[in-house]
Amino acid sequence: MLKLTKVSKVYEGKVAFRALTDIDLEIEKGEFVTIMGPSGSGKTTLLNIISTNDAPTTGKVEIEGENPHKLKKNDLAKFRRNELGFIFQDFNLMHTLTVEENIVLPLTLDGARVKEMKEKAHTIAESLGILSIMNNRTYEISGGQAQRVAIARAMIHDPKLLLADEPTGNLDSKASKDVMKMLVSINEKEKTSLLMVTHDPQAASYSDRVVFIRDGKLHSEIHRGESRQAFFQKIIDMLSLMGGDGNDFSSIRV
Amino acid sequence: MTFRQFAFNNVLRNKRLYIAYFFSSMFTVMVFFTFAIFAFHPAFSDGAINQNVLFGMAVAGGIIYVFSFFFVLYSMSSFLQSRKKEFGLLMMFGASNRQIRMMVFLENILIGFFATIGGILIGLVFAKGILLVAENVLIISESLDFYFPLLAIAVTFISFIVLFFCISVFVSFILRTKKLIDLIKGDKKSKGEPKASVILSILATILIIAGYGTALYVKGMQVVFAMVPVIVVVTLGTYLIFTQLSVYIIRRLKSNKSFFWMKTNMLLLSDLSFRMKDNARTFFMVAIISTVAFTAIGALYGFQSYLTKGIKESEPYTYQYIPWLNDSEEVMKEDVSKINSILQEENVEAKMEAMELNYFETSTSEELIVRASDYNRFVAFTKDRELHPGENEAIVVQPVEDALSGVSRSGEFLMESSFNLENGTEIQPSYIVESSVLASNGYYVVNDKTYEQLGSPVRNDWSVVWKAKEGQTDQQLIEAGRKLTEQVEHKAYSVDYQLFEINKAFGPILFIGLFIGIVFFVSAGSFLYFRLFTDLDEEKRKFRSIAKIGLTQSELNKVVNQQIAILFFSPIVVALIHGSVALTALSHMFNYDLTIESAFVLGSFALIQIIYFLIVRFFYVKQVKRMVF
Ligand SMILES: Nc1ncnc2c1ncn2[C@@H]1O[C@H](COP(=O)(O)OP(=O)(O)OP(=O)(O)O)[C@@H](O)[C@H]1O
Ligand SMILES: [Mg+2]
Repeated sequence: MLKLTKVSKVYEGKVAFRALTDIDLEIEKGEFVTIMGPSGSGKTTLLNIISTNDAPTTGKVEIEGENPHKLKKNDLAKFRRNELGFIFQDFNLMHTLTVEENIVLPLTLDGARVKEMKEKAHTIAESLGILSIMNNRTYEISGGQAQRVAIARAMIHDPKLLLADEPTGNLDSKASKDVMKMLVSINEKEKTSLLMVTHDPQAASYSDRVVFIRDGKLHSEIHRGESRQAFFQKIIDMLSLMGGDGNDFSSIRV
Repeated sequence: MTFRQFAFNNVLRNKRLYIAYFFSSMFTVMVFFTFAIFAFHPAFSDGAINQNVLFGMAVAGGIIYVFSFFFVLYSMSSFLQSRKKEFGLLMMFGASNRQIRMMVFLENILIGFFATIGGILIGLVFAKGILLVAENVLIISESLDFYFPLLAIAVTFISFIVLFFCISVFVSFILRTKKLIDLIKGDKKSKGEPKASVILSILATILIIAGYGTALYVKGMQVVFAMVPVIVVVTLGTYLIFTQLSVYIIRRLKSNKSFFWMKTNMLLLSDLSFRMKDNARTFFMVAIISTVAFTAIGALYGFQSYLTKGIKESEPYTYQYIPWLNDSEEVMKEDVSKINSILQEENVEAKMEAMELNYFETSTSEELIVRASDYNRFVAFTKDRELHPGENEAIVVQPVEDALSGVSRSGEFLMESSFNLENGTEIQPSYIVESSVLASNGYYVVNDKTYEQLGSPVRNDWSVVWKAKEGQTDQQLIEAGRKLTEQVEHKAYSVDYQLFEINKAFGPILFIGLFIGIVFFVSAGSFLYFRLFTDLDEEKRKFRSIAKIGLTQSELNKVVNQQIAILFFSPIVVALIHGSVALTALSHMFNYDLTIESAFVLGSFALIQIIYFLIVRFFYVKQVKRMVF
């Protein structure tokens, strides 16, 4: 499904900064992978490269055997909104639109039929519990609601690959659990591949596999076994092994 | 660091943000100053120019000043608009309301001060050019030399320091009422769509139709009386169009999901309605200001063309001699030979025709009756057609209608009268024609044979006319005309010399009108520019976030194009239509065809606007794209 080979990223600037070094990563269709690592380790950078919002300095990205970075700009934009779904850390909602309009935005750009859009938005909103705020404007909803709207928008066009940067970053543990369950159910029902960045071991424990990066390099990865509880414990252990106290990560981010 | 230093540094650090506001303030100062250089020119204070013109210039100066006030105030408020968030943050970090007001006040004074100095300096650079232009438009005998405009500098400096001071005080008072939360949410929260009422939208349409209908229907002097009500009605209608009808249309479009949810329409319309309150205000202002500019310049240009071409056309002869009633034949002969010798002196080649004008008794009074052959001799000099009345027929000739010349036409009256031949036959006039062959309110033209049977006239008069040969310079004709007018006072007329005098008197008015028109038009342009760039940061953020989900360049181009096009053209199109209706009404008033002049003026403005649109769009798209892709 997704295959990265020797991806490196150097930020040019007054002082060139090597954010990623030789990352190899493969994600199967329908797999749910989490990326974890200390702040500044290059997680967002990696996600941006996969989401084609940023180009790698060297190395190759393949999504279903195709290198999206080779596409022309316009095709790339179409590719992005047809094949990929994004949940941004800062939601990235448009405040001139209502919740419903935000959700259907990717479909309108592609000229979908109104009836179809309405139905899809309704189904997703219902499952996310945001039906009651469909006609609100974005400044009239809470952070958690906004996050769910962002999820709805990312899913409305049934993307093949869903990319999520700290989707639970703004939520309390109850809401965060709901969102994770939501993602897992999408992952299972639609066979959507999922790649998520998070600092929250609780959220990470919902995935099939956790990949750790540190200083822009792959550090290690652990697979989920039978029990989520054991998986959670392994994640905590790995985090403290990597950078001391696991709680250190959650406070600072770029 | 004191707070004063902070304010000072704040201006220097946020250069980009301040620069637009600074430039528009400077532009305003420059305009006023240039005008002042012109108005305070020593050539005018010598008393060479008449009191009315001086008064006109004072009024114009006042208009420009008041306009500057609102213009700066508007620029100021849109500038503050884009900084709401900054204030919100400052307040959150504990800056007191007083401190922020103090900061805004100091900033304003600072910007105002430098804008005043800068405007005056740039004005000085252009001064020579402006005076040259003025000299050519004005046709004044004295030349407007460059001088060091000490008085203009002083007046401009004091006026604008006072203006900026007042605005600074004013603005820092406005700021007081804003709540913290509103400031922080500032750019996220819509000011709300204005309510769209169906009734008011219909009213808008009715008002405009009624205004246009009246303006196009009235003729002649009625135009003057209809003017004020029509202006009021149309202004109100324009306001309602932008605040009600447009909102109503956008709402309808938005509620039509299959349109609103199609491709990029959602992005475009949601933004339009999100900012409708600001937009409506800007649209209205720009439409009205541009209408004033278009109409003023169009009217002046039309007027100029009327004065030069129109009068010349309605006055077919180069020179005319009309003696006093009781002048004896000797006096007339003397005058005519004097005129001919003056023409010879000035090397003006002209053909002469003379006619005896005889007045006869009619059923109602005494009227001029002209022999067809005499008439046709004169017609040869004009563009009118020859008349060949049959035996016992009389044709009524009346002057061409025209509001300026102020002649009353008596054609209808003549049609109802009749006159008798010696043999008792009563002659009823058959029809009316319009011509400018004789400078008379109206008269009959009859067949030569019929004329012989008229009997003896009750009184008589003479008319002598000259037609200069083609290809002689205007200077020659004017100079001869001046001599004629001076030496054969009140009896000899020269069109060219009269036109020269009229142009001289209207020159300053033309110049002032042109000046104000251009000022208005340019500031309408700046309003649009402000409207667009106030929201630039927000737009960039918006497009950036959509681009992350996937927005093609062509889609971005399309939305941005439509957005700027709506902003730039909807008020201007309204203004162009208003302007063309106004100019049509004006041409009805003078009964002079202004189509070419109007088309030229309005077309030039439309062209300028298109070029302006293209330039702004280029930079805007570039800015947005740099941020997005
Ligand atoms: N545009 C940029 N130019 C230069 N350096 C950058 C840029 N973006 C990120 N970096 C650097 O690259 C490194 C990785 O950044 P990245 O945003 O990927 O971290 P992260 O793992 O997402 O951190 P966090 O968990 O805090 O979000 C950081 O050291 C950062 O300073
Ligand atoms: Mg990050």
